[in-house]
Amino acid sequence: MSSQVKRVVIVGGGSAGWLTAGLIAADHRSAQGQGLEVTLVESPAVGPIGVGEGTWPSMRDTLRRIGVSETDFIRECDAAFKQGSKFVGWSSGEAEHYYHPFSLPQGYTEANLVTAWLHRHAATPYAELVSFQPQLCERGRAPKQVTTPEFAAVANYAYHLDAGKFGQFLQRHCTARLGVRHVVDHVARIEPADNGDIAALVTAAQGRIAGDLFIDCTGFASLLLGQHYGVPLLSAQPLLFNDTALAVQVPYAAADAPIASNTISTARPAGWIWDIGLQTRRGVGYVYSSAHTSDSEAETILREYVAAGANPKDAASLAPRKLSFRPGYRQKLWERNCVAVGLAAGFVEPLEASALALVEFSAAMISDQLPATRASMDIVAARFNDAFLYRWERAVEFLKLHYLLSARTDTPYWREHRAGASVPPRLAELLALWRQQPPSRYDFFRIEEIFPSASYHYVLYGMGFRPEPAAFPERPDNSALAERYFGEAAALAKSMLAGLPAHRTLLNHLQSYRLQRI
Amino acid sequence: MARPVLLNNVEHKALRVITTRTAALGDDVMSAIIVPDEFRSVQACYPIVFQKQTDTGQFLPLALFGFESGENLFLTESGWDAHYVPLSIERLPFLIGGPRTAAQASPPQLVVHVDLDSPRISWTEGEPVFLEYGGTTEFLKRAGALLHMLHAGLEATPAFIDALLGLDLLESFVADIELKDGSHNRLAGFYTVNEERVRALDGTAVASLHARGFLEPLYMVVASTVHFRDLIDRRNRRL
Repeated sequence: MSSQVKRVVIVGGGSAGWLTAGLIAADHRSAQGQGLEVTLVESPAVGPIGVGEGTWPSMRDTLRRIGVSETDFIRECDAAFKQGSKFVGWSSGEAEHYYHPFSLPQGYTEANLVTAWLHRHAATPYAELVSFQPQLCERGRAPKQVTTPEFAAVANYAYHLDAGKFGQFLQRHCTARLGVRHVVDHVARIEPADNGDIAALVTAAQGRIAGDLFIDCTGFASLLLGQHYGVPLLSAQPLLFNDTALAVQVPYAAADAPIASNTISTARPAGWIWDIGLQTRRGVGYVYSSAHTSDSEAETILREYVAAGANPKDAASLAPRKLSFRPGYRQKLWERNCVAVGLAAGFVEPLEASALALVEFSAAMISDQLPATRASMDIVAARFNDAFLYRWERAVEFLKLHYLLSARTDTPYWREHRAGASVPPRLAELLALWRQQPPSRYDFFRIEEIFPSASYHYVLYGMGFRPEPAAFPERPDNSALAERYFGEAAALAKSMLAGLPAHRTLLNHLQSYRLQRI
Repeated sequence: MARPVLLNNVEHKALRVITTRTAALGDDVMSAIIVPDEFRSVQACYPIVFQKQTDTGQFLPLALFGFESGENLFLTESGWDAHYVPLSIERLPFLIGGPRTAAQASPPQLVVHVDLDSPRISWTEGEPVFLEYGGTTEFLKRAGALLHMLHAGLEATPAFIDALLGLDLLESFVADIELKDGSHNRLAGFYTVNEERVRALDGTAVASLHARGFLEPLYMVVASTVHFRDLIDRRNRRL
C-alpha cells in the first residue's frame, strides 16, 4: 500500500479553507503538476460565516507567501490598515482608553523600560511613552506611504478585511494560479479506511474524493474532527463568558469621513463592542454573555453605540445579525489523517483577533511539517497537537487577562470575571510574579509565542496594573538608556506624523495607483 | 509656484527667454525626469536611475547630476558642462497644457503654455519667441518640438517601466561614496537595473523587449552607470 502523502483534501471554503489551500499549494508547487495535489471541497449550501475581520501583522507574510499582490488584496477585499487595538472603558468603565499597538516598544530588548517608566514617567500612559504608534492611530494615519513597497511597513501593521470577499479573492488566486482543484459539492458521507483513517469523502454529485490528508475547515460544524471522529470541544466558557454576538455593517457618515487604522474595542455591561473600519463601511458588533444579558438588552446597547457615530437614518435602519458560538477548542486538533483549522478547531470571542492568526499559524505548520508518508504523520500530529493546545491555552489566558485586570464593578459580568473559580492557575501565578518583575521571555519561551511578552506589557500597564514599587529598583546604567529610547519613540512619532498620509487618503490612492513590489 | 498660461503672439509678442545655464535660473537641480527616447543621448553624459514619484508612488527614470538636493555638478561658471541637456530641462519655461494632476493625467489638447513665473522670462534680453509680425521664431519651433517629444515620451514611459518591473529588473540601491577628503556621502532612495538579471533574461523575454522597443533603452541604462565615476570626480574637484 502506497503510504506517500500526495493528495491533500480540504473541506470548507471560508477564509480558513482557502488560506490553508493557498499556503500548501504555494509551498508544495501544486500548479507545477508533480507537486502535491490540493483539492478544496466546498458545499454550495453552506455560506461562510462573516466574522474574523481583524488580522495580525503575520497576515502580510502569509499573503506574500501565497503570492498575491497587496494592492489587489486591498482593492478586492475592501481591506484597510490596522495598527493595533484601542481599548475603551475596560479599566473603570468610563471613557478611558489604552492602546495595544503592533510595534514593539522602542528598545524593548535593550533596556528595562518598565522600571524607567515607573520611576520617572508614571503619569504618562505606558504605550504612549514607549511607542510612536498610538499617536499615529489617534491621528488616523496610514502605516505607510505611497512609495513604500507592497507588504513593507513604516509602522508595523495588519489589516481589517471583509471576510466574505477575502475568501473569494483567495479562491480566485488558488484556482487560477496555484493549481488548487475546487469541487463545489455536498459531502454526503465520510468513507473510513480499515485502519481508522479517512479514506475518502463521498460527495452528493461528484462521487468519491480520496485523499491522504484531510483538513477540516468546515467551521463550527467541525464535520470531520468533531462529527466523524467525535473529538470533544474543551469549553472555555468558565473563563471567557461571551457566547453571542450581534453584528451590523455601518456606512460611514460621510464619503470622506476618517477611517480608524486600529480596531476600537469598547467595554460594555455584559461584553464589548468591536468597531472595525473597512474602506466602504464599518463592521460593528457587540459580543456578550447570554447568561448575563438578553438579546434585546444587547441590541439596545449596540444601537446606542452605532447611533453615536453614524447618520441617524443609517443607524435606525440597521438590522443586526446574531451569531451564537460555544467558546472553546477541540481536545485534539489532529486525529489520524485529519487536522482541523479555523472554527472547526475552535473559537473564542474575537477580542485581539486571534482567529485568522491561528489559521495562519496552523496552515504554516501543516505546510512546513507536511509528512512525506503516512508513517511519520502520527509524529507530526502529536507535535501539532502539543503546539496548538499550548497556543489555544495561551490565547485564552491572554484574553482572560483583559477581564481580570478590570476594576469594573458595575455588573455581575465584570465582577464574576474576577472570581477565583474563573481564573486559570497559571495566569494567577504569573500575575503574582509580575507584581515584582515585568513579563519577559522567561514567561513566554516557545518560538512563535502567540502573544509575545510585549503584548502583556501593553495590556497589563494599559489596564492600570502597577507592580510593587519596592520590587522595581532601577540599575544606574538603565536610566540613560531607557530615556534615550523614550526620546527615540517621541522623535519617530513626530517624523512619522509629518510623513505619513491620512489612512483614507492612502486607501483612496490605492484605487488609482498600485504599490510597487520593490 | 508655476503660473502657466496659454502662449499667444499678442500678449507675449515681446516675450524673450534667457537661455544661459545658472543656479539663479533654476538649473541647480540634482536630477531631471527623462524619457526612454532620449536615453541614448542621456547615457553619453549622466547616470540613469529610477525614482518613485512621491505623489503617485510610480517609477520614473531620471538623469542624475549630483548627490544631494540642489547639487548640479555639471553647472559651471561657463554654463552647463555637457553635450546634452535632457528635454524636461531644455524645454523650460514652456510646457504643454496646464499643470499635470492625478485626476487629469494628460491635457486634452497639446498646446504650448509658458510659465510666466519662470526666472527665464524676460522682455529685454534672451531669445525672442515671436517674430516682429507675430510669426514663430526658430527658437519657439524648436521648443515646441522638444515639448512634443517629451509629451510622447512621458506617455510611453509607464509601459517601459511596467516591462522592467514585470521582469523583476529593477532594484533599489544605496551608494556609499567616499570623497578624497575622507568624507562619506550616501545616495539612497533610487533604483537601478540589476545587470545580472538582464544578462539572465531568456530569449522570449529579450525578443518581447526588442519588439516593443525597450531593449535599446534598457541597455542604455546599463551603460549609463559608468558615469557615477564621473560624478564622483566632479564632486572631488570641487573640494
